[in-house]
Formats: sequence, structure tokens, C-alpha cells
Amino acid sequence: MRPEIDPITFEVIQNALSSIADEMALVILRSAYSPVVRDSMDYSTALCDSKGQVVAQGLTLAVQLGTFPDVMRILVSRYGEEMHDGDVFIVNDPYGYGGQHLPDIYIITPIFIEGTLAGYSATMAHHSDVGGIAPGSVAIHAREIYQEGLRLPLARLYSAGRENESLFEIITKNTRSPIQVLGDLRAQIAACKAGQRGLEQLAEKYDLDQLNFYFEALHDFAEQRMRAVIEALPDVVYENVDYIDGVGHDPQQLRIQVRIEIRGSDVFVDFDGSSKQIAAAINCPVAAVNSATYCAIRCMARDPIPNCEGYMRPIHVSAPVGSILNPVEPAACGARGVMAYRCFDAIMGAFGKVLPESVIAGSEGGPILFSVGGRHKGKPFVLTEVMVGCWGGRHGIDGEEGISNPAANLSNQPIELIEAELPLRIHKYSLVTDSAGPGEFRGGMAFERIFENLADQSQFTVRSDRRKHRPYGVADGQPGRPSASTLIRFGKAAINLPTMPMESFDLVPGDIVQIISAGGGGFGPAFERDPAAVLDDVLNDKVSIEGARHDYGVIIRDGVLDRDSTNVLRARAREAR
Amino acid sequence: MAVSGKFSVGIDIGGTFTDIALIGDGGEIHTHKLLSTPQDYSIAIANGIEQLLDAQEIDASDIGLIIHATTVATNTILEFKGAKTALITTEGFRDVLEMRRLRIPVLYDLRFRKPPPLVPRRRRFELAERLDSNGQVLRAMNEEDLREIVAALKEEGVESVAICLIHAHANSDHERRIESFLAKELGDQIYLSRSSEVLPEIREYERSSTTVVNAYVGPVVASYLHSISRNLKKIGVECPLQIMHSAGGVMSVDLAVRKPSHLVESGPAAGVIAAARLAEASSRPNVISFDMGGTTAKAALVEGGKPTRTAEYEVGAGINLCSKLVKGGGYPIKLPFIDVSEIGAGGGSIVSVSEDGRISVGPESAGAEPGPVAYGRGGTEPTITDALIAMGYINPKNIVGGKFDLDREAAIAAIQEKVAARIGKGADETAHGILTLAVATMTRAIKAVSTYQGRDPRSFSLVAFGGNGPVVAAEIARSLNMAEVIIPPAAGVFSAVGLLFSDVEYELVRSVFGRDAGHDAAALSAIYHEMAQEARHALIEEGYSPQTIQIEQMADIRYAGQAYELTIAAKFDENDALDIEAMGTFFGYEHERTYGHKSDTDPFQIISLKTIARVPNLYQIRDSQLQSNHAGKSGCRSVYFGHQEQWLDTPVCARGEIPKIPRSGPLVIEEFDSTCVVPPDARVHLDDAGNVIIRFGEEE
Repeated sequence: MRPEIDPITFEVIQNALSSIADEMALVILRSAYSPVVRDSMDYSTALCDSKGQVVAQGLTLAVQLGTFPDVMRILVSRYGEEMHDGDVFIVNDPYGYGGQHLPDIYIITPIFIEGTLAGYSATMAHHSDVGGIAPGSVAIHAREIYQEGLRLPLARLYSAGRENESLFEIITKNTRSPIQVLGDLRAQIAACKAGQRGLEQLAEKYDLDQLNFYFEALHDFAEQRMRAVIEALPDVVYENVDYIDGVGHDPQQLRIQVRIEIRGSDVFVDFDGSSKQIAAAINCPVAAVNSATYCAIRCMARDPIPNCEGYMRPIHVSAPVGSILNPVEPAACGARGVMAYRCFDAIMGAFGKVLPESVIAGSEGGPILFSVGGRHKGKPFVLTEVMVGCWGGRHGIDGEEGISNPAANLSNQPIELIEAELPLRIHKYSLVTDSAGPGEFRGGMAFERIFENLADQSQFTVRSDRRKHRPYGVADGQPGRPSASTLIRFGKAAINLPTMPMESFDLVPGDIVQIISAGGGGFGPAFERDPAAVLDDVLNDKVSIEGARHDYGVIIRDGVLDRDSTNVLRARAREAR
Repeated sequence: MAVSGKFSVGIDIGGTFTDIALIGDGGEIHTHKLLSTPQDYSIAIANGIEQLLDAQEIDASDIGLIIHATTVATNTILEFKGAKTALITTEGFRDVLEMRRLRIPVLYDLRFRKPPPLVPRRRRFELAERLDSNGQVLRAMNEEDLREIVAALKEEGVESVAICLIHAHANSDHERRIESFLAKELGDQIYLSRSSEVLPEIREYERSSTTVVNAYVGPVVASYLHSISRNLKKIGVECPLQIMHSAGGVMSVDLAVRKPSHLVESGPAAGVIAAARLAEASSRPNVISFDMGGTTAKAALVEGGKPTRTAEYEVGAGINLCSKLVKGGGYPIKLPFIDVSEIGAGGGSIVSVSEDGRISVGPESAGAEPGPVAYGRGGTEPTITDALIAMGYINPKNIVGGKFDLDREAAIAAIQEKVAARIGKGADETAHGILTLAVATMTRAIKAVSTYQGRDPRSFSLVAFGGNGPVVAAEIARSLNMAEVIIPPAAGVFSAVGLLFSDVEYELVRSVFGRDAGHDAAALSAIYHEMAQEARHALIEEGYSPQTIQIEQMADIRYAGQAYELTIAAKFDENDALDIEAMGTFFGYEHERTYGHKSDTDPFQIISLKTIARVPNLYQIRDSQLQSNHAGKSGCRSVYFGHQEQWLDTPVCARGEIPKIPRSGPLVIEEFDSTCVVPPDARVHLDDAGNVIIRFGEEE
């Protein structure tokens, strides 16, 4: 730290900032209406300095936390000179405005202290519906953004405290769930006010010059810590290719190619070679690619880094214009989340080839989106479930099962609440035996969730992945088991559904949908796994007796480890190699 | 079960000390502090009571009631020393417990490990049966299916069984049948715990987790409480024993043994109750309690004389809970808790400087062993206590009444070498910086229970206690612009005092969400009526007279679609019918106050109904006299008050020497078990009840 920085003041201000960001995040979490916000934490809150740079963030959804810089830069460059106390800006458009996909609506307010622009409160929340061809506004089968719902360029929702009634009406008329959308916008505005109060209180103790000085010091400090992490990485080029299985009944795989180059303390992440944008809603606007990349690089650091924009300075991301990772209008992007998770995986996989001990093997591939809706007893209903997950194995530690994807922080919805509210029954929610990618440190287990439709009429859609291209193993670990989605109708053969169908399916009462995720990839050779750990998995029904023999070369008889047979089997396998 | 003896005794156990408070008919309160005996806590309890009785010349048979706050439930989980537990659940759902709510408490940490389930997969058994959300049977259960499970339980040597079926919140029949079958087959050697008794509330994971915690700690809590009763009998104390629960009321030993999951925040609750009673007695309905000990600082909000409650808590999630945003680090319990926000900053918290020059305070703690550097017991890393000693805040010769001396020079040297030299400051200034930083950290705990809930700390007084609370209280208040600090007598054992003033409380909850009752005022009124009957009956069974029982009823309400509820008092109209509309209006008001927005048109939902039956405590803190244990010597010493004031000659006195008319600081007040520092820009006086009152701002 520079000598003119007082380390105590630095910490006190940093502490106050994270407290403000937490408070903003809590207002939204506790009072939001959208299930995607409350269960998936698919929202972000940030306090920004007067230049629009993020100085603190509520820790919500990791892969989303790098999404403010793009939109803030555009806001400041367009309106920075004509900002008024009481302005509230709204935006969601990914093309030219830094948005991600249309359901993610940003609410940003400038903060004035004694007439001077002191900073900004910024929030983003995934709203339940912004129109378009399907409820929830994330239909994979949208071919252009014009089918995806209401596009909001940067506009003032309030101008110097005066409400823009027309804009409110436009929003109200363009959503299937106006009560929820308006309620969540209110929550976002309330969070912005909390941010403003927090900064005002901080400015009572430190004048604005002092605050600006320490904000800059915070950015510098985060940058230094990030640079130290990057400098410590071996100076080689890291490369990797990962794939999305593709959309529809005859999927064409989609390529995610990444090349990571370390130059001194800077890292350059280039997605050149990735597939071209496609006519389905999984194109990923570049703001989301940037965010996923920041998240992956940050995970390489073992020490905590303050959540401010400074840490992003040494990270440089590029993706070819017109590719699936930097699409241009009119590419549809509603279901782009899967790509962001795959960018994270691709980067981890690249580092994993050189630095296996620092990474994690492939996780379930990001959330499976399951959406069902229709009418029952004359009343409409809709359920969107964002389902995870498991982690891949790590050096010295098994993967985790029953956990959110490492780049996310999702929750599951209570089964009893779903059944109390909706014409659905859940028959099973469990871990899947033998689904984990075998390894010296095995992956996490897949989960299975079985729904029965009770409604008079309904339809469902599902977005999954990782069936053909399974969660990768690291350091000779095996990939996890593939995902599966199945429709089971009474008296008929089960129908295997595509990972990303370009359509929705009709359901009649009694129809059953079974969703199984992919299992996490393993770390290290499976035949090196401690037989006692395999025995423990068998006793807990996490691995079957047959799986123990086949995947791990471990023989278990009557719940007891047969050491001799195991040694023989493993020795034979070594010779065969 | 009215108090028949002349005296009541409160016992609060911490990791290091056991605190005891005794109150008599005349209202005089005597306190005692001694080292805890972790190998068997009941030894220190019995010894301590005996010593206090001897000192006050009281006969053991004159003790009418003993009230105890215990950490046994929490420690059992933290140390994974619970019973060998199994879980029986509905077919298809045995992994609900292990999959949890999926949340990760730390971001960007690829080496994170989930807390292991308290019941491993092999001991989670599925039974063919199913209910719907209204409690209708979709698939009937068959006792014969349990035989195989019983055999497995025996083979595994299971000591405790949790029973949690899907939708048992709406119909307890299947769970009861499993319970009686197991009781018959396995005998009373096995501890049984069913979700429909522990927490009949909707949400399968939270109910499972709570029931499993209950089963896991049950046998341990039972043997602990029985051992206390035995040891008390040995010294001639045969009166009833009551236990404080996490919501700040007390329950009988029998109930505590049946529902031990209610005891997890027993200790922290006691201090808040003490603060709330003090607030009431001094006509200040709104206070924030602040309890700082050796490893953590805890804050809670008291509004209108009542501690704020919460219904969610994760035990074992670490001590930086005040973020409230992160989940998944511990074991959720969905029962009533006083909303105590805790942060890892206490006297023993270690101060360190990272390689790149960043200074931090806690959450690592030197604990009681080796303790701060000044204790001279092998500690080498400077702590908050060392900084306080270096600045002259704490008298090195007066810790716990001067029972052991502290090495101030060693504290200064450690600060100089480990911190000051690395941040380029002098030792004095660094010590003061450490205090500033510790205060900034601890104010987050206070913000978590105030500003985070839409409450402005400036309209509250700060009640500070615990071994270290009074030392830093004025600085905490300054940093939050709070105008007034109250330091009660015997601040170091104040939680034990709180036990003497706690009410007997029995709380029930019923889920109504998604049930046919819905928003039907008549149906809800009927449920309330039934709950009141049940709660009343439970206390009558415990021996309380019906006339003394008061009923309080609330409802958890949210806007349709939200995930979190606010608790709103139930309102009845003149015909004794539930006035849902009035409750909705009040909910809107509370929502705006808490979150900053509301809607007059959006539909709201009633999620659950709550009922508390209460037998108020007969003692009034306002009529009592806390006996202050002064052991220090009056005089003067040099204290460092920061960069501007520097070292000031500061008078040191006992509580009794403080004038009733406000005087200016600086001043140090020394007592047996705590020290209070009044900064130069504050004023201090003693009120009629013996509280030290410190105020900032203009004189009135």
C-alpha cells in the first residue's frame, strides 16, 4: 500500500462499503416477488464511485457479479453530464446498452451529496416475465430478439424524482405478470435508496475527496492482488475447447474455444474459434462472457480480493463479433445462461491441463431450466425451476453433491410449497447412484427430480445440457454420467427428450417428467482411489457394488472390503495399461 | 409451579466462565463468577452455587427456582458429538437432508466443503407412504414395512431416530404411528423425535433439518440436564430447574429434553432479555443490546420492550453471521430465535497484517488459551485486549478483581513488532487504530439488526455488557451516532441476571399456506382458538395456574410470490373474529418500514399462525438492587484517546463514586469483572437504578 494511505481508514471504509452492499442485496432478497430472484439469487447490487466504477457488491450470484461495468460505462458516457438528483435509470437491452438478456432489468440511481455527484447505486434483477413468445421470456426456440419481449434502452424511469408514467404503463402492458414486475422494480428502487443512505452516512465521517481517494486506493489494492495471482501462473498459453450439445432433435454441437495468455501480470482471454451465433436463444451477449471470465479467473486466487472493479483491470476478454459469445442484433439470447457457465468450464478446463491442483473438474454444466405452466380448474399457473447441481472433484477432495454450481448460488424450491400452490406432484428428489465421475477424488453425484402433472392442461419446456459432452475429468479423472430428460405417459413407451428442445410439450393429467442432471467429473485416476473411501460410498449407496468393481477396481463382499481381490484386480488393470 | 422458595438463581455458562446470579425476596441481587469445568459443567455450577450461598449465608433449601442458559446443544453440533442418529422419511426423499437448499456460503472458493449431514445416507430410511398438502392420504402406510427398518436400526446401533415425512405438517398420523411402532420395538433406550411435534411447518428441508438436529442433540442434552439435577441435589438444592430457550423464554427440563433444538441460542438470548427488562424498567422501550466477550460480539434489537425475533438460524455456520445473505454453512433450525447478530470480534481476536499491508482484526481468536499476549500464557499474536491494555483502557492489575496480573509491556511490544512496524505508525496510534477497526467490525453486527431491518440506530440507546462490552461501548455508539450508552451494574455477569427476569414461554406454530383455510377468517380464528387451548393446556400441565397464563398471537404474512414473511400481531374485531383486512394494512406499513416500499393493491398471503402462551416473571428489575462488586482502587492513570487527544490523565473510580449529575469525561470506571471507559467528549452519570449512563452531544 502507498504510504499516504492510512491502513486503518482503508479497512474502515472497505468494511462500511461491504456492509452497504449487503444491505442493498438483503432488501431485494427479502422483498422480491420473482422466484428467480429469491431462489436463484439471480440479481446483483453494487455501489459505484462517481466515475461509475463498482466499489462494492453484495455477494449473490458469482457468474453475474461482473455485469455492471459494461452498463455503467455506457450510462456515464451518455448521461454523466446531465445527471440529476432523483433520477432513476432503467435498461435491459443487450445490444448497445450492456444488458445481458431481456428479463435482467437494471435499475441505477445517481447519488448526490450536497449537490455533488458522489456515486451510483446499481441493481440488476431477473424479472419473472417481460413478454415474448413464452411465459418467463427465456424460450430457447426464439429465433430473434424481437420474439423475446420488451426491450428497454437506457431511459429515465424517474426524472429528478418525477415518475415517468408512460414508461411504467409500457412495462405493465408488456408483461404477463405485472404485479411481480412492478413489485420487483419497487424492491430495486428501495435497494438503491438504501445504497444512497449508506453512502451519505459514510460521507458524514469522511469528506468526498477523502472517499474518492480511498475508493481509488481500493481499486488499486484489488488490482495488485489480482496481478499477483496472475503473475504466479506459469507463463504459458492455456487452450481448451468445450462444447454445448446443441439445440433441437438433431443437435449440431456448438464450440466454445478459449485461449488464455499470460503477459506479465495481465491475462488475455480470447474466445476466437467459437461457433457463430445461431437462430435460437442461447447466444451470449458479451457482457455475460466478460462476467463469467472475471469469475473464473478470480477463482484461481486463494486470498480474498475486495469486490470492486479494480480486480478486473488486468483481465482482458475478447470474443469475435458475430460469434455465439459476442452476438449481434437480432440474435436471441433469453437462455444465454448456459453459455456463461460453459465459458467458466472452458476456462477451468484450460487451466486444468497445466495446473490441475488449482482447478475443479467439470460440474453439472450449469442449471437445468424446467418450466411448466397451463390452466387448472380455470386458473392459470406457472412454475420455473432452475435446478442444480454438483461439483467436480478437486485435488485431494471429492466433488460435492447437492450443491449449487460453483459459479452460481442457486437454491431449490421447497417440494411442499410447490405441491401446496400448484397442480403438480413431485415423486422423487434424490441423488443418483453411480452418477459421479470416477476418480481418485470422485465428482459429485447427479440429482433426479420427478414431476407428475395434475393440471387439466399444461405445457412444459426444459433446457439441459452435458449429455454428449459430459462434465470433464481432470488429471486422468473420468467424466460424470450424462444428463437425461424423459417424458413418461401412462401405458406408453418413455420418450427421451432433446437436451434443448426447440418446442414445448403438452401434458395431460398423470403425465410424468423425469429430469436427471449430469454428474460431476472426477479428479485423478479412479483406480488410485482409497478403497476405504469406495467402501464408504458403497455403504451409503452412492456407488453400487458393481460400480465399485468396474469403475474403481474395488471388490466388496457383504459390506466388507476384499483387499486381496482388489489388489489383484487393480494390478491386472495396471498391467493392461 | 410458582416459585415457593425465597431465592431464585440464574446460571449462564460460557467457554471460560460460569456466571451465577441470585435474587431474593427483597430484590437484592448477588452475583458470582468462576472458571467453567468443561469436562463436566455441572461441577462448576454446583460449586458456584455453594460458594455464593455460603458467602450470603443462605440455606440451599431456600432456593425456589434455578434458571439455566446452556451452550450444550450448540457445542454438541460444533463438535459433532451428538447421538448416532437415523432418519425415516417418505419414499423418494431420503436425500432432501443432504441436498439441503444447495446454497454456498462463500463465493469463488473451489475448495469449499459442505458441512456433512448429521445423518449419513446409509442411516436415512424410506417408507412407502404419501400425504398431500392438505394432509389427505395418497398412499397409506403399513407398519409391516417398518420391520426391516427396525432391524437395520438395531444392527447399526442407532441411538436416536428422527421422523420426517412429506406434508406431515398437515397430518401427523403417519408420523405418530411410526413413533409408537418404534417405541414398542426399540424400547425407551432410543430417543425419538418427529417433525410434526418439533416443527409442524411447511417446507420439507427446514423441517427435516430441525427434526434431525433435535434428534442428534436430544440424548446429549438429556444426560447433561440430568447430571445437573443430580449435582444440585448433592448440595441440597431440590427445586425445579428451568432452561432458557433461543427465543428468550424458559421451559421445564422435561420439555427441554423433548425439544432440545430450542436451546441452541440459549446463552445469547439471556443477555438480550436482561437488556430488554432493563430498558422497560428505565422507560426506554427502544434499545440495542451489545454483548462483547472474548471471541465474539453480539447485538440484538429491543423495540417497544420486546426483543426482535427471527425464525431462521443456522447452527455451526461460523461466527460471521451478520451478513445474513450467505446461507449453507451450517445446520438450519426453523424455530423462534431472538434475532442475535454475531461477529467474530472479541477481546481475544487476533490482529494481523497481510504481506501486502492489509490489517485485519479477527475472526481468528487467541481464545482463553493461550489468550492475549499480555496474559503471558504463551500468546504471541496481538489481540484487541492487548491494544486496550496498551492504551490504558484496561488496568493490567485489575482483571477479574486483580486475581491475576497482566504484562502491559509485552502487549505493547507485540503491537509494535507485529503491527505498528509493518504499517509505519507508532505503537499508541496503532493500538488506537486497532480499536477503531474493531469498532467498525462490530458496528456491522449492530447494523445487521437495525439498518438492515429499516431501523435507525440513532433512535436507540446502547445497553452494553459482557466482559468487554463496557470498554468499547462509547466508541461503538460514537461510530453509529447513537446518543446514549447504558452500562448496567454487574455488566460482566449481566446475562445471568437476565435469567432471573425471564418469562415462561410456550410457542406453537401452524402452517396454513396452501391449505383450505387460506384467508377464511372463521377457519383461521378456529385454528387460533385451538392453538391457544393447546398452549394453555401445556403450561397448566407443567403446574402453572390458568389465571397467570397470557396468550399472544401472531401471523407470518407476505405478498404473494415473496419468499420471506414479516410477523404481524393477530387482530380480532369486537366480535372476536379475525380482522384480516386490518392485519393486511399493518403488514403493508411494516413492509414499508422494513424494506422501504409497499403496495396497497397487491394480494398478501398468510403463511402460518403463531401462538405464545406466557407466564410472566414476578420479579421486576426496577424493584431490584444489583450489588456491584467493586474491587479496584480509585486514582488516576494515563489513557490514550487517539491522535488528537493523545495521552490524558484520566480519573479511575468505582461505580458508586460516579455522581448523579452528569460530569465530563475522560473517566474510567473499574469493577470486579469489567471496565468502562468514558471518552473526553462524553458525559457520564449514575441513575437511580445504579446504571452508568454515558451521553454524547449537547447537554440538555
